[in-house]
Amino acid sequence: MSSYKEQKVKDLDYIFYPQSVAVIGANRVSGTVPHDLLANILKDDFQGIVYPVSPKERSIKGVKAFKYIVDIDDPIDLAVLVFPSSVCHLALEQCGQKGVKAAIIISAGFKEIGGEGIKREEQIKEIAKKYGISFIGPNCLGVINTDKSAQLNASFARKMPQPGNIAFLSQSGALCTAVLDYAQAKHIGFSKFVSFGNKADISEIDLLYYLKDDPKTKVILLYLEEISDGPGLMEAAKTIIAETGKPILALKSGRTTAGAAAAASHTGSLAGSDDICDAALKQAGIIRCDNIEQMFNIATAMAYQPMPKGNKVAIITNAGGPGVLATDSAINEGLELAKFSDETTDIFKKSLPKTANIKNPVDVIGDARADRYNVALTSALKDDNVDGVFVILTPQSMTDIETIAREICSVTKSFDKPVYTSFMGETDVAKGISILQEHEIPHYILPESMSRAFSSAYNFNENLKEENPPATVFDDTDITKAHSILNEAKKMGKTFVTEDEAVKGLDAFGMPVVENGIAHSEKEAADIADKIGFPVVMKIISEEIVHKFDVKGVVLNINSKEEAEKAYKSILGNVKEHEPNAVIKGVLVQKMIDKGKEVILGLKNDPIFGSVVMFGLGGIFVEVFKDVSFRIAPINHLTIEKMIKEIKAYKTLTGVRGSKSNDIASIVETIQRLSMLAVNCPQIKELDINPLIVLEEGKGCFVADSKIMI
Amino acid sequence: MEKAQVIERVKKATAEVLKTDDEISDDANFIFDLGADSLQSVQLVAAFEEEFDIELEEEGALKIQTVSEAADFISQYLN
Repeated sequence: MSSYKEQKVKDLDYIFYPQSVAVIGANRVSGTVPHDLLANILKDDFQGIVYPVSPKERSIKGVKAFKYIVDIDDPIDLAVLVFPSSVCHLALEQCGQKGVKAAIIISAGFKEIGGEGIKREEQIKEIAKKYGISFIGPNCLGVINTDKSAQLNASFARKMPQPGNIAFLSQSGALCTAVLDYAQAKHIGFSKFVSFGNKADISEIDLLYYLKDDPKTKVILLYLEEISDGPGLMEAAKTIIAETGKPILALKSGRTTAGAAAAASHTGSLAGSDDICDAALKQAGIIRCDNIEQMFNIATAMAYQPMPKGNKVAIITNAGGPGVLATDSAINEGLELAKFSDETTDIFKKSLPKTANIKNPVDVIGDARADRYNVALTSALKDDNVDGVFVILTPQSMTDIETIAREICSVTKSFDKPVYTSFMGETDVAKGISILQEHEIPHYILPESMSRAFSSAYNFNENLKEENPPATVFDDTDITKAHSILNEAKKMGKTFVTEDEAVKGLDAFGMPVVENGIAHSEKEAADIADKIGFPVVMKIISEEIVHKFDVKGVVLNINSKEEAEKAYKSILGNVKEHEPNAVIKGVLVQKMIDKGKEVILGLKNDPIFGSVVMFGLGGIFVEVFKDVSFRIAPINHLTIEKMIKEIKAYKTLTGVRGSKSNDIASIVETIQRLSMLAVNCPQIKELDINPLIVLEEGKGCFVADSKIMI
Repeated sequence: MEKAQVIERVKKATAEVLKTDDEISDDANFIFDLGADSLQSVQLVAAFEEEFDIELEEEGALKIQTVSEAADFISQYLN
């Protein structure tokens, strides 16, 4: 992190813990943002001093108002601007003169409206820079800090949330108010709650770094509409997770694939912006959620309960059906049903009715009261074979719902294992659910959500233990040579490099290219083929032809000098027919590798995240099933191994139905080299190695065809 | 009409709309210095039209920020 950014993070203390706040543009009109924001600060018992600044009011809500911020004698830590956007620059200029260090600009009418708004945003950025003011916004709801030492509600939300250990950062202000309402109903508290709007100065990245060291925050939630600094976000997330183990959950809107269709390569068309975002967030350790409910389902599990140390769960239920549903969902999420110890089984036998199922899932029977739940939950939590417990309840006439809820809360408190609950129903179970939520026992309407939350927490905890070595830097590469090939092509105004040049570029990075030569006559083709050894493949080389197969410019499986001569003649004839104006550079003669498994490797330079590496199985798997995985370069060998295992067809590489395993280690090394190429050659817009032919284990892999777009 | 005269009449109309007895400077900003809200901004344009018996182009008029800018804008109609 640069020292400039470090300062931004430090300045956030003025925003979250100011000793004094000036609300600039405040008024007396209830129901307006300038009034309600000031009212919120006063109402929610802010621990510092508040100064309303209003051009025409002498006092607001009994507090003396000042015409200008510069009229206030005391120092001001934080200015909250609620003026119309047209005069925010004047207010900010005075903040600078006053020596204010931080601001929240609530006002809308900036970049988000385009035109004049963009200019206004640039203007306030310049003023802030001139005076060294860090600011949140513009176009935001504001900031809330529930910490008792601050109790600051500098927002126009309807209410201050209860204190908690979840921080919520949102690009959308409107979503914030909805989330606050949702969270209140579920007794979810927050440590910090920030709407950062247009992020003209302080971004989600600065906020993440701040929250890293915030002792009140255990879990960070992030709602994003656009990511402007992909690598910065990834770096911040990795740092926070590695240093503190705080989980970061993100909801990123805009799951669209528009734009990918126009790409020139396979990789380009397969790597939609959302696929890349998905891969990048995962790579950074961020848990991406599909909706708000899922986000809070997982967040409450992680914030309220201990992280699962294993994936073995015990299910306790008073109904068979829901027990089976929970079992199915647990297995689907990669969890296992714990096998109880003999001691636990003995207790169940003694304490539960004969009709009870004492194996996992434990069915305490429909007429169970709190005592049975108590014994089942206590015994399960004591059992070393159990890593966590799911407690399910359905409301029968004799079910003492609230007592059971209290019992669960009381038992759970005594153990360092996670307990999640699902009181199924709505009306009858409402009070019981409320008791659970008030005591920070995560509750889920459906067992599926419960299993998903547990598995997310478990996987996050497991990932924390993983090594993360740096990406390998090979010393047998020739970066200068690759640059000269790419830069030369770019200088000549080309949008792609011909295959012979692409092969040289890949060779410069130590990629396994096959022996080849360029022929300019039938005889030369035959001689080169003879020298390389049959079979060979021959391909047209022309700067006008990207898709060689489309012009019948490729002949495969050439087995003799005569066939090579014929192939040369036929390629030239075909190309002349399909692309009469194409300038022919020659015909590439390559050794043909035909006995391995075809995989595809690719690169795409993404404007948000940088170089994206793609891996997939070739042929139908990539064409029809789009069975590919992505990562952002640079990537280390462990990540590459994960990337390879991630595709659905992975098993076909390991040898199925009697076939031998393919040389996966050679794929890993080729992707490592591709990652290094990506980092060193940002000129590459898209790259396909399709296919990379992978031989049996120990025999390597070979680049059979490649395409580089610049 | 001299600009000084226009400015004085702009100030008079402004004081009436914003109900202020405070002295208004030439470079006073209607919102930042005088506290005009969005409704009052529209009322100010109407007051200027009435004061000078002219019809102002609305979009341009609503972009005016200061007394001096208002005087310049109005002067275009007077001359």
